[in-house]
Amino acid sequence: MWAYVIRRIVYFIPVYLGIIFLVMAMLRINDPVYAYLGKNASEMEIQQTRERFGLDRPFIVQYADFVWDVARFDFSQRSWEQKRPVGQMIASAIPPTLFITVPSLILTATISIAIGLICSFNRGRWLDQSLMVLAVLGMSISYLVYIILGQYFGAYVLGQDMGLTPFEIEGYEPVVGLRQAAEGSSSHWWNLGDWVFTPMNWVKYCMLPVIIGVIVAMGYDTRFYRAVMVEESGRDYIVTARAKGATAKKIMFVHMLKNAMIPIITRVMITLPFLITGSILVEQFFGIPGMGRTLITAITSKDFPVVQATVAFFAGIVILTVILTDVLYALVDPRVRLS
Amino acid sequence: MGRIGSCLSTRGITRGIAAGVVCTLLAAPALAQKVLQLPIRTDGPKSLDPVEGSTTYDNMACVQMYETLLSNKYSDPYSYEPLLLEELPTTADGGKTWHFKLKEGVKFYSPHGPIFGGKNTRTIVSDDVFYSLKRIADKNNQLKNWWLLSDTIEGFNEYMEEQNAAGTFDYDAPVAGFRKIDDREFEIVLSKPVTKFLWILTMFQTSVVPREAVEAFGEDFAFKPVGTGPFILDEWIPKQRLSVNRNPVYREVFYPERSEWSREDRRRRLHLPAGERVPFVDRIEFTMFVEDNPMWLQFRAGKIGYTEVPDEYYAQAFDKRTHQLKPEMASEGVDAHANKLLDFIFRGFNMDDAVVGGYTEKKKALRQAMSLAMDLDEFNRTFYSGLNVVYDGPIPPQLDGHPEDGRSPAAYQGPNLELARQKMIEAGYPSGEGLAPIKYYANRGGNSPEQTELMQRQLARIGVRLDVQLVDFSTLIEFVNKKKAPIFSFAWSSDYPDAENNLALFYSPNESPGSNHFNYKRADYDAMYEQILTMTPGSERTAIYEQMRDMILEDVPYIGSMARERHYLINPWLLNCKPTERFYSWYKYLDVDDAKRPG
Repeated sequence: MWAYVIRRIVYFIPVYLGIIFLVMAMLRINDPVYAYLGKNASEMEIQQTRERFGLDRPFIVQYADFVWDVARFDFSQRSWEQKRPVGQMIASAIPPTLFITVPSLILTATISIAIGLICSFNRGRWLDQSLMVLAVLGMSISYLVYIILGQYFGAYVLGQDMGLTPFEIEGYEPVVGLRQAAEGSSSHWWNLGDWVFTPMNWVKYCMLPVIIGVIVAMGYDTRFYRAVMVEESGRDYIVTARAKGATAKKIMFVHMLKNAMIPIITRVMITLPFLITGSILVEQFFGIPGMGRTLITAITSKDFPVVQATVAFFAGIVILTVILTDVLYALVDPRVRLS
Repeated sequence: MGRIGSCLSTRGITRGIAAGVVCTLLAAPALAQKVLQLPIRTDGPKSLDPVEGSTTYDNMACVQMYETLLSNKYSDPYSYEPLLLEELPTTADGGKTWHFKLKEGVKFYSPHGPIFGGKNTRTIVSDDVFYSLKRIADKNNQLKNWWLLSDTIEGFNEYMEEQNAAGTFDYDAPVAGFRKIDDREFEIVLSKPVTKFLWILTMFQTSVVPREAVEAFGEDFAFKPVGTGPFILDEWIPKQRLSVNRNPVYREVFYPERSEWSREDRRRRLHLPAGERVPFVDRIEFTMFVEDNPMWLQFRAGKIGYTEVPDEYYAQAFDKRTHQLKPEMASEGVDAHANKLLDFIFRGFNMDDAVVGGYTEKKKALRQAMSLAMDLDEFNRTFYSGLNVVYDGPIPPQLDGHPEDGRSPAAYQGPNLELARQKMIEAGYPSGEGLAPIKYYANRGGNSPEQTELMQRQLARIGVRLDVQLVDFSTLIEFVNKKKAPIFSFAWSSDYPDAENNLALFYSPNESPGSNHFNYKRADYDAMYEQILTMTPGSERTAIYEQMRDMILEDVPYIGSMARERHYLINPWLLNCKPTERFYSWYKYLDVDDAKRPG
């Protein structure tokens, strides 16, 4: 297996370098310095800024420099806009994103798979039809509508009209942080050595986005898993299991689920890299300083160091996920051989 | 028994009460801190180093911690007053040499540790001012704000070129125009008398910073501000929040006197704390809102002191017909405040362009026709709920030289299709015949595509067709700077409240890539511009402003103009609030009444 993994990594190196090349080249189609300096800049200032950013060097030199930094995991280059080291920016943006995307993924996958199984087992009946109508309805409404309604009813109305403030309209406080920093706060926290976990911060700032994320994603996922399960439910081994007198519960959760693992793994693994990039909309509206927000701000302000580093990081995660998916296939299905 | 008797005696009771009062006082918690929560309607400042700042939000954050020599007045933002200075600068030679005297005992305070020879504080001196201005010339500080001082101070351009060409920037090298008298007094000699110089000294980019902090923190100085301002940085999480605490060594500064406030301001009771020492609040917490919905809800929940009214929320706050605050808002004690902005929103022509440029009658006729075909009021109604101000000329409302009622007889303001068609004939393009589609460049963001549609429809009425190029902002600037955009959509927001700032946009030495994006070149205009530079405000100068304005209106180097009016809502618990844009050092005058906060 390790030989396979190493071989795949080696095969992916040119792809990875190609992605970085394309992104860097595309970023440089238009000169970012004009927008950076604004309307008052003289040609001399534009030229000096170009030199300071290293944009006056040949493209291939800029490319080689960046690849060398990536190879050494050196993300110390500073953001043009924020002047902070890019590595530090990415490191601080990942946890808030993960506190939203990971619970969303787990909840969505669990609930959707369960509903998919129930629907397939009750195919064509009122329960299946009702759940599918709800799924289509859920898919048909824009994410933005859920966010705006969620903020209004889930945070504003609940707080104003009912005096309940489980969720904040907007904002973020660290869910996991250094013990030293948490000691001054009034929130209740749990010790994790030098670190502390503050569950109320998660409830206040992350839970509403998670609920919205689950509602939005469930429509798509439920339909997908239902289709997978329906296909599985027509297989011979299900008929055999029924003939042998297996209970519906056992057929659903043992036989069907086990055999449907390949499409489930594929679906979940595709989602994994996006756990890092997060949801731009949710982060923008809820003011969560996550990766999605960092990336979109960097793109709109043409902050090349941040965009390049994020793309390099994201491309690396995608490649690792693809390899991990292959490995998981072999683990859950003995018919798959890694060679 | 005797002991009890003693306790019950008058003296005993008195002592007991006194002791009780003392105990109660000792046991009472410290006075509650006054905390003010305010929004920043974007992802906030990019840097807390004034010299690297350029946006409104950089300004908003920096001026809480840093101070400039002069500042706009809170009671009258169109004039300035000394801030770090003892008195307004004086000149004995008609504005070429300016004499400055710093206030006594103004101190820098470092909340990031002892950087001043083992101490946290140091008194500012003349050299700090020179050092701070020199930083603007250092290319390592991005030169974003060099335009403020370029060609202004004697020997400063030469200093800038020499130091940036050398390996290291020598801050100790002399500048001919900087003359130190002593630690509190100094002179700045200008290359020529320039009235706007004092306005530049109100701009946050010229804030005074201590050299020790810049050298101690290096690149991190942008995150570790050390200034003389009313507040010191507590925490800044970029794009999320910024909080500042009261500066413990802030000098005595007082709220503007009653006589300084206008009748309208006094009606809004803004004069009440006159003469009281500021700042009133102990802490300000800024939250950045990239989206309007959460900002609006936070305001309605009473969690932030004021909010700008986003366009899409206007109808929730105001009656669209009467533009009055809705009764339900008024009954909650919410106050409304409108702020006219010094905007100049226009569609510019490149006067060097072979088709739309030129100064002959025939060439002018095409631009005049296009201006006459445009109905800016329709733009205002369609895209701005009729709230913007449409006016003639490049001088925004409220400034000297702005035409009475916004209209000048010299203008070719549309819609006047009959005259527009006649002008098309004069231009040699009857009904647009023989005129190829003209390239029009606009930013692709916001409602620009829809605005472009309307512009195309209006110009089509006289046979002018546009070849629309919706591009990103960077490309737009690049095309305009390189004189490749025949028509372009831009806007200018005055840096200081003097029409000279807008008239400079047509001064030929400022042609692209400078701020004269029209590449407008007329020797007689340039001569008048050079004349006004040294003139002090007055009817004589205003008369020249009007002459220059009408000259521009006749030549039509742009189609316009329009200015925005920004509306603010203020929660009842926020006191002394008169939202003012362009300068933000007025937060120190704000107060909160916690009893009026909801819940």
